[in-house]
Amino acid sequence: MAGDSRPARRARGGALDAIDRRIIIALRRDGRAQSTAIGEDLGLSGNLVANRIRAMDAAGTMRVVAVADYRVHGYRMLARIRLQVNGRSPHDVARELAMRDDVLSVHLTSGRYPVSCLYAFASARDMIEAARDVSAGIAGVEDVDVELLNTVYRYRPAIGPIAGHGREEA
Amino acid sequence: MSVESPPTDLLDRQIATLLARDARTSFRQIAGEVGVTEGTVRARVKRLQTAGLLRLQPIIDIASSDDDTPASPGRHMAFITMRCRAGWLDRVRDALLAMPRVDALYDANAAHRLVAICLVDSLAEVAAMTNAVLALEGIRDAESELVLQTIKYDATIGPIATVEDIAKLT
Repeated sequence: MAGDSRPARRARGGALDAIDRRIIIALRRDGRAQSTAIGEDLGLSGNLVANRIRAMDAAGTMRVVAVADYRVHGYRMLARIRLQVNGRSPHDVARELAMRDDVLSVHLTSGRYPVSCLYAFASARDMIEAARDVSAGIAGVEDVDVELLNTVYRYRPAIGPIAGHGREEA
Repeated sequence: MSVESPPTDLLDRQIATLLARDARTSFRQIAGEVGVTEGTVRARVKRLQTAGLLRLQPIIDIASSDDDTPASPGRHMAFITMRCRAGWLDRVRDALLAMPRVDALYDANAAHRLVAICLVDSLAEVAAMTNAVLALEGIRDAESELVLQTIKYDATIGPIATVEDIAKLT
């Protein structure tokens, strides 16, 4: 197994072994597949499969979730808003931004804009107001780049910070 | 937005929210919580999935993702923001969609800009992606941003209905 040659990786709490990965591949085909059916395909017992799925969920290494389009949640548009920050820590700006419900994600990034977020809006008016409010209402924001998502060609949310690894609750 | 999505209502949103934490929750339990029949829940989920508005899938924790497995997504996120020369957007887009590490791709701001989100394993891979992008004909400039820290992230909402999903409905 690949994991055996990488003790450092295992120690970090993210211990997925070969069986886990085979189960995850089966779940990619059908996230609600019965444990017994997955077990039959993989030559494992249904109980083992169910236990593995439960254990991965409990450890926060893998979770079967429903990923909903933003439109299901009543939003009409998405924008990536990037912020230039001056005279204040970008981390503090990011945390303040993260408190807003309509801000779906916030990252600190390298480059010209140290704070980058994905912001959802119910209307064009909301977007204009939010863009204005981000630059005027959050201390330290020097400039904003508002990028309205137009056409999405691909979106594969296969990984994400689940259990606090690399994630900070706002 | 240049594309329209099918209408969704409060019940769709309630079901998506209940499945977000655990997509393997029984439909019977969800039916009980929202006060409809199990058949209604099943039909709503099916309709949303067919429309490309809901996916029930495993999400791997970013710290647990493993670069030893070819199919496994990378552990670092990078944004590559590109401007295309006039008339080249479609060709550049197709070239980007052929790259396996491009996990998301959209155009923005009246289609002058293409943004790729890549999950990569190393800085070397970011460099390789940036080089490959800049080598494409039709690119005016490209800017790579590496995510240094994630302050907020929600894998259960995003722009998952792609242009192809929406085209299928019309």
